Amino acid sequence: MKKILAYLIILLALVSSALFATSSVFSQEATDESAIDILKEKVADKVEELRQKNNKAISGFVQSNENNVIKIKTNAAEEYQVKLDPDLTKYFQIAGTTKKEIKSENIIADDYIIVTGVVTDKTISANAVFVDENFLVLIGRVSEVDKDNFSITVVTTAKEEITLDIETATKQSIVNIETVEIESTGFSKIKEGDTIHFVVKKTPEITDNTYTAKKLLLIPQEYFIK
Amino acid sequence: MKKETVIAIVFGLALGGIVALLILFKGKDIELARNKAIGPKGKEQQLLGEPLKQIQGLELTSPSDGTIVDKNSITLTGKMEKDSLLVIQSPIRDMTARTTSNNFKIDFPLALGENVIKIVAYPKDKTMRAQEKDLKVYFLDSEL
Repeated sequence: MKKILAYLIILLALVSSALFATSSVFSQEATDESAIDILKEKVADKVEELRQKNNKAISGFVQSNENNVIKIKTNAAEEYQVKLDPDLTKYFQIAGTTKKEIKSENIIADDYIIVTGVVTDKTISANAVFVDENFLVLIGRVSEVDKDNFSITVVTTAKEEITLDIETATKQSIVNIETVEIESTGFSKIKEGDTIHFVVKKTPEITDNTYTAKKLLLIPQEYFIK
Repeated sequence: MKKETVIAIVFGLALGGIVALLILFKGKDIELARNKAIGPKGKEQQLLGEPLKQIQGLELTSPSDGTIVDKNSITLTGKMEKDSLLVIQSPIRDMTARTTSNNFKIDFPLALGENVIKIVAYPKDKTMRAQEKDLKVYFLDSEL
């Protein structure tokens, strides 16, 4: 009887120690796994931080697109080489408030693109390429009003002379000199000497500084006399 | 000539010279005191003593040019003289505002893609030139 009891106690001790050892291993593994997960999360956060820090955007008109390299020229006449990764680079066409995925081959010369990625000198490794539209936002003084042709000549603050065609689609606004609120206006209110803020769409075909005004905002010269 | 006469002459010349110098230096102050200021009375000393006022020029503190964001609006913060007229224009929005202090903070909407934004400040003194700042902000989805 005593022997049986002794054997039982020894057996119980063995089983307990085995169970204890197993649970220690599991908890150690669990601790290791959670430490690895934490480390992975920290590395991912750091990579994301660096990606955002180094992620820049460059925009310009496409000069050429061949052999996984797009050459672009910015409005400041700077040239960049955009390196495309066949597996990683994504391509999109922006249309209003949405974007649609396209292929690299859809990007052609004279397209205006935005490229995001890491910029090194004049080269950018593209994460994504967006085909968009190029707008100029300018300010100047009205020097001439052509009532017959619904066009005006503006001398910008950069001393450039621009002809603006005013069409029915042109959004025309004026600043109320009393309240400084923006109000709707018409072509007849535009006078020589008025200050004008305007937006035009730029395309490579335009070489003679004649644009169709997308929108304009007048500040009457009376504002500056008051 | 007697010694006393010479001494008297020398003293006389010295005294005359001192009086002449006094008249020269003090005469300017007397003339200024006699002048009448054209302006609000009582403020002459204040105006004379006031140093030239530094006018706050247009500064844009954020965002910086070329910023990429993943939402459809940004906050433009900067500095400009109080009571200036700010005109902010982009392809999708025109905005005007009068600065109520030397600092401004304005929420501005963004279009998907590139946003060219021009900020022009017309100072309170309308004889002074307008100042302008240009920046490009890119609204691109975060999924990228």
